Order: sequence, then structure tokens, then C-alpha cells
Amino acid sequence: MRIIVDKAKCQGHARCWAHAPDVFTLDDEGYILPGDIKVAMGDELLAARGARSCPERALEIDGTAGP
Amino acid sequence: MKKNEVASSPVPDHVPPELVRDFSLFTSPGMPPTVNGDPHAAVACVHAGPPIFYAPHNTRDGRGTWVITRARDQRRVLQDTETFSSHRSIFASALGETWPMISLELDPPAHCVFRSLLNPLFSPQRVTALEPAVRERAIALIDRIAASGTSCDVMKDFAFPFAVNIFLRFLGLSDHRLDIFVGWGKDLLHGEPVKRSAAAQKIVSFIDDLAALRRKVPVGDFMTFVVQAKVEGRPLTDKEVRGIGVLVFVAGLDTVAAAIGFDLSYLARNPKDQEWLRSKPERIVLAAEELLRAFPTVQMLRVATKDIDFEGAPIRKGDYISCATMIANRDPAEFACPDTVDLAREENSHSAFANGPHRCLGSHLARREIVIGLEEWLARIPAFRIKEGTAPITHGGHVFGIENLILDWC
Repeated sequence: MRIIVDKAKCQGHARCWAHAPDVFTLDDEGYILPGDIKVAMGDELLAARGARSCPERALEIDGTAGP
Repeated sequence: MKKNEVASSPVPDHVPPELVRDFSLFTSPGMPPTVNGDPHAAVACVHAGPPIFYAPHNTRDGRGTWVITRARDQRRVLQDTETFSSHRSIFASALGETWPMISLELDPPAHCVFRSLLNPLFSPQRVTALEPAVRERAIALIDRIAASGTSCDVMKDFAFPFAVNIFLRFLGLSDHRLDIFVGWGKDLLHGEPVKRSAAAQKIVSFIDDLAALRRKVPVGDFMTFVVQAKVEGRPLTDKEVRGIGVLVFVAGLDTVAAAIGFDLSYLARNPKDQEWLRSKPERIVLAAEELLRAFPTVQMLRVATKDIDFEGAPIRKGDYISCATMIANRDPAEFACPDTVDLAREENSHSAFANGPHRCLGSHLARREIVIGLEEWLARIPAFRIKEGTAPITHGGHVFGIENLILDWC
């Protein structure tokens, strides 16, 4: 699974990080780092929850990409 | 919600009569102080109507606003700062002035400069470091309540002294004037115009004096940081220091306390949920998100910078647009059974802290306070309910709140 990150939409809610701190990394201001995220198999459930909790819809789940 | 039968303030000519509704966050049923009220449920009824409509009396001073009901459309408004400006001098207007609270009432790009300055102080990582102090304060207050009997007024004895103390401590202020500060906040948010102006004046003087003091004698607190800070290579102006100080001061005075009040009120009335959460404290973090979804406290107000046709509504330059979090968070298009509180709800993309660049700066601190408050309360107070013969009084308005919450337990 891959998470497509729309960095411009991130407003620092940090809901993704709250669900999966190992998957989503924040900068010093609390915003997500740029770049899409490859999710390891064991992290998929929490990563998906984190992505779907984004109040800005900045994270898109691409389920077609293998780990 | 009825069509516009009673509105007396003039509706602008460009607003089609069929888009006018008799709705107001200040005067509709359930919005003025109401015994045993449920102001969040009261406003959720707008979802039976059109996605956008015009409410002729929807600000404190009786101005009309467009009301955006769908969560998706609120995101669009709040993310598009070019079309929907946040600069409307809400605080300064109480003084007949127009300076902005910073960063709330600045638009990008100026907004970004100040947000970058303040963000690190309120980041999730930074808030984690404050946790022991927050927990210690919660435990001290609740232990005192538990030791002194089997009943208390949550607002007076816990929610306000807890939330306001944490935030004063964050600012580097002692809390011996806590009650006075809370009084200023109440007058400012809910008082008559004369009281509002007087409170605004007191807050401005207090912040100006504090800034002057910290300039003279730096002590390593928030205001010291602000008076020493630089943006774009220059120190902040007095007006900018004031704008930041006033916003942070006002924003922390009653929102978290109100949230804790609504949450404990819900749990007092829903013993099954209360017992479930008490037996599963690890679920409180997630449950707090659902309570934030169901009982958020603020509305966002924007002003149109140009004419735009928005989902069929002719918004014109200068029109006010209200994005109430309590309305978006009950949108059936985004939340299954939106009027049901489901403490196990996952993937909760609610907007209690708004959307767009003005996402609540203090949101991470607020979340930790709410979670810790609930954790320590449930761990220390046995099964509680609304004390017989008492009734909480709730209100709507610019910031929703609960005036009293008398609980008792055995």
C-alpha cells in the first residue's frame, strides 16, 4: 500500500500521526513531510485509519501499490 | 427552520428570497441559555434544508451571513483563503478598531509567516512534553473534589480551573487572577456591547503591560518569546505583539472548559458509555475525538473578497460566510448516524478545530487536556450523574458553552 501525500493541503492536524506515528513523520511545526509513503504490510490498517482521519483530505490511499 | 417570516434586518438585494432562512446561532431555539439544552442537536436540523442559505441575524451584532451546512463545502471555503478572508477584526471591533488578532485574522502570505513562528510552540511533539504538568493539575483538582464530598459543579470546580490554569501556565502567568481572566472572557464572548468593550479594553491593557514587562525583564515564557521574536529579519511591532497575545489569551479562556463540560454532561446522562470508557481507558483517546465531533464549540466566520457563485448561491464581495463546526460535524454525507455519539467511531475526520490554514493553533494542547481530563476524572470519580433537582444550562452563540454542570455520585 502507498499513501499519496498532498503536502499543500496538510494543515498540521496530525491525525495521521496520532494513528500511526511510525508511518507518518511530522516536521518541527507539526506538518507532514513531503513525498508519498510506502507502507509496510503490518502497518496497513493503522496507516489507512490515519489517512482516512485527515480533516483536509490531504492523504489518498493507493491500494494497488505493493509493499 | 422556517422561511424568512420574522427577519427584520434588511436582506441584501442580491440574496434570492428562497435562500433566506430564519436561522441564527444566537437566537434560534436552543441558542440562548437553555435549561437542559442540546445546542448541537438544535443546529443539526439545518441538514434537512438546503446546503447553503442566508441567515439575516447570524452574528453577535445582528449581521446576516451565508450558512454553509455541508462539511465538504466548509472545507472548500476554509481552504480557499483568497476568496474567503479571515480578516474581520472580531476582537478589535469591540473597541471600534480594526487591527487583526494574529494569526487568526491574517490571510496568507502574512499568515504563514506568523504561523511558522508560533507552530513549533504548539506542535504535537511539544505538547507531549507538557503532559506531566497537565496531568498533575488534573489529579490535584479531582482529588480535592473527591475528598470534599460526592457532588460538585464540574464547570466551577474542575473544567475552568483546569483548562485556564494549564493555558496560563503555558503563557507563563500565575493563576491567582484566574477568576478575573475567566470573567473577562465571559464578558467579551457573551456580554452586552458595553461589557464587551470594557472587557476588550482590559485584555488589551493587560497584554500591552505584560509585553512591556517582558521586554524589560525577559523570563523565558510565551510573551518573552513573542517580544524577542523576529519575522522576516525584523522584530515584531507593538501591534503584532498585541495581536498574538490577545488571540492566544482569548482562545484559551473557555473553549477547552466548555468541551470538558459537554463531554462529562454526555457521560453523566449515558451511564453505559461512561462505564465502558471507565473500564477501557485505552479507548479514551479515540472517544475524545468522537466527543469533539459531536460537541465542538466554535464557528468560523469568513468574508468574501470577491463575487462568487457558490453551489448556486450568489455570494457577493463583503458578504459574511459562517462555517459552524457543529453543523459540518453532523453532516450525514460524511458521518454515518451523525446525531448518534459512537465512542468507538474510527476514521473520524471531524473539523472541530476547523479546516484550512487557520486550523486551531492550540488544537494539540486542547486535545491532550481533554483526554487527560477524562482519563483522570473517570479513574477517580465513581459512576456519576446529573444531580437530581439540578439542570445544566447550555447556550449557542459564537462559542457554544455550558454554564453549570452539577454532578453527584455515591
